[in-house]
Amino acid sequence: MTVSHSAKVGAALAVLITSSLGLMAWKVRNLGYSLVDVLPVTQYEVTYSLGFDGHGDDVRVRSFLPSSDARQTITEEHDLSSGLHLTQVMDGANRVATWQGSEVPDGAQIQHAFKVLPHRLAYTLPADLPVPDVYPPSAAPFLRPEKEIQVDAPEIGETLRRIGADRGTVLDRLRRIFDLTHGLKGRPFKGTTDALTALRLGEASCNGKSRLFVALARAGGIPARLVGGLIMERGTKRTSHQWVEAWVAGHWVPFCPTNGHFGELPERYLTLYYGDETLFRHTNEINFTYAFETRTALVPSPKAKASFTVLDVWGLFDRLGLPFTLLRTILMLPIGALVVVLFRNVVGMPTFGTFLPALLAAAAGSTGAGWGLIAVGIAVGSVALARWGIQRLELLHSPTLAILLAAVVFTLITTTFLAERIGVEPLTRVTLFPIAVLAICAERFYLSLTEHGGKAAGKELAGTLFVMLACHVVMNSLALQVLVIGFPEVIFLVIAADIYLGRWVGMRLSEYRRFRGLLFAEKAP
Amino acid sequence: VTELLSRARALLRLVAANRPRVVGINRRNLTLVYPNNPRHQYPFADDKLLAKRCFDAAGVPSPETLAVCEGLFAVPGVVDRLRGKGQFVVKPANGSGGAGILVVGDWDPEKEVWRRAGGRVLTPLQLQRHLGDVIFGVHSNQLEDQAFVERRVVPHAFFSTLWGDGLCDIRVITLRTAPVMSMIRVPTAESGGRANLHQGGLGIAIDLATGRTTRAVHHGRAVEIHPESGAPLVDLQVPRWGEVLQVARRAAGSVPLGYLGIDVVLDVERGPLVLEINARPGLEIQNINAAGLGDAIAGAVRA
Repeated sequence: MTVSHSAKVGAALAVLITSSLGLMAWKVRNLGYSLVDVLPVTQYEVTYSLGFDGHGDDVRVRSFLPSSDARQTITEEHDLSSGLHLTQVMDGANRVATWQGSEVPDGAQIQHAFKVLPHRLAYTLPADLPVPDVYPPSAAPFLRPEKEIQVDAPEIGETLRRIGADRGTVLDRLRRIFDLTHGLKGRPFKGTTDALTALRLGEASCNGKSRLFVALARAGGIPARLVGGLIMERGTKRTSHQWVEAWVAGHWVPFCPTNGHFGELPERYLTLYYGDETLFRHTNEINFTYAFETRTALVPSPKAKASFTVLDVWGLFDRLGLPFTLLRTILMLPIGALVVVLFRNVVGMPTFGTFLPALLAAAAGSTGAGWGLIAVGIAVGSVALARWGIQRLELLHSPTLAILLAAVVFTLITTTFLAERIGVEPLTRVTLFPIAVLAICAERFYLSLTEHGGKAAGKELAGTLFVMLACHVVMNSLALQVLVIGFPEVIFLVIAADIYLGRWVGMRLSEYRRFRGLLFAEKAP
Repeated sequence: VTELLSRARALLRLVAANRPRVVGINRRNLTLVYPNNPRHQYPFADDKLLAKRCFDAAGVPSPETLAVCEGLFAVPGVVDRLRGKGQFVVKPANGSGGAGILVVGDWDPEKEVWRRAGGRVLTPLQLQRHLGDVIFGVHSNQLEDQAFVERRVVPHAFFSTLWGDGLCDIRVITLRTAPVMSMIRVPTAESGGRANLHQGGLGIAIDLATGRTTRAVHHGRAVEIHPESGAPLVDLQVPRWGEVLQVARRAAGSVPLGYLGIDVVLDVERGPLVLEINARPGLEIQNINAAGLGDAIAGAVRA
């Protein structure tokens, strides 16, 4: 019983695999496609949530908004403030936002939201860089003392000498200053601590440590500045954060003495302003409250998108105004179908057809897998109920199916109606689930129910839903989506896998159970 | 732990050694069904009327066809012709799993109805309706089908002793006309009179060479007696076994399909009759026989 055509099959596999891998290698090597960047990146959505009582008077709130730079890309900024006017001006590197309003009532609110795509940026400081004698005019001002950064205080000078930061290379000095400030005891102190106080107390919160760092660095001849911002974490918080930057050979290099980051910062650090500033200034006696709400989402890396240049379907869809979700749904279907094949032919799990679980998963891409399950449950439930109702009429096949479709539609509309009534907003969206896919699902369920009975139909339904979830997990993988968009030839590999499985005579997992009596027999059966 | 590991390894070795003997669905389709049964020839198995025409042409005995309804126009005539007659079976040509099969008993001339099992009756109007349904494809999930009427088989005493209320059949798997493995399928009350194994029917393994039953399986468990009738099942001699195999061989040779499940019944008067053939015969027969088709096929090919 040799498998015929094995040479043909082998040749087809070889052609598909080599052409796919060859194309990928060529794109990476010669066209600069970025393979590592197919991994998705975390995008943060930050909302300033400000509240105050205007008592019917004039109100002014001033704050800082982040700018895009090498470490962060700010997009989709939008402002929702009740009756206040927002003006923005640039003050040096800072974006100053001022909300102004007259006759502002009590309980007024400002919601200002933006999305942040952070980029990791780490510096390696040269070990032998000497401290220069002269600085360019852009850096020189950052050597001067400020009110709470007492560069000239004798104690600062003494400390500098004591820790040896008054001599040696830039790296040596910064390292010693960093070690000292990082070594100070932490303190959950909310108010402002100046550099001298931090030094005298031997303990400080982020702003005290950062001021002391800046004071020591400036005293040691290295321009330095305070940076104010936010450590982005999912949820709501009120604490902002301060760290420092030192000017080294034309670059502002970040340091966080509070959390021990030297020459680099984690992605979660969002820069809002530079200098010794206050994040919020506002009209007095308005019961001002603020909070930062942060949400996260995985998004395709813009670097990957930028590197895809040949036959760029992503760009094509952008030009046509078609959504990214449609593109990824279409391209992921062959992969979803492969998942179904694996479950049917290797695991031995029964499903309604080969496409249906993948189609259901694709349809659930926009509503979420849970709502997909619920939509299928509603459709199948209405089919079972309607079948029970019209069975006694003994109707022909096709008219029966037409009635079942009507039942599905009616149930979906009723569900939406009821969901709106009882206020379960997400449930109203089950109607968004593509009716074509639900209709096919309903038909397959009905056929299985009449042909194989309730038990078999239930098994197939459970198998379909399980495989749909598996497809959902695979098809919703952003990394895989970006990979297929950038390297559509991956589909050749999927076809190769399909061919291999199409000639696979191995036993299905479920058959190990079915034939366990034969397989585990001690003597030859 | 090492003992457990070595035991697991031994178990894996055992499974690996046994695996080639057992045929799974993937292997059945790729190595048995596809090479031997070209897809366009499937109607010879799926369409029972077409199969019967092949049997008739080759002189393979099968239950006598009393009438064929090729369309709705033929229904009243067929019902008229059946009036006064009894003991027949109505079947859809393309039904599967026993759907749409109507077993009819004697004609009651006084009430002008047919008797059915369980004291029920069938009026000519009901028969007309049933034939209409079959033709409209209600039982075959096609847009249309054909209905045919067969003389009811009177099972040989050997089989009516096993189970009285339904028809037992002998399934013979053939590869290019050579019998490979066989079993008896016995209905139970639980299976609703149908002999399908997954519906609660009972399977009895037959030694191909001798025609003696070797073991019986119900719901995956070996049994010695019929769970309802109490009839013994094991170590019985199937009567006219040589003829049964001969009929199966000839039926297999009469259609252009190479791998088949042939269902044979033993009529008390006419002997072995072929009921129908299946181009994708199930694999449960391996569990019934406690033997893999892999070995059986290798043996059949050698012989």
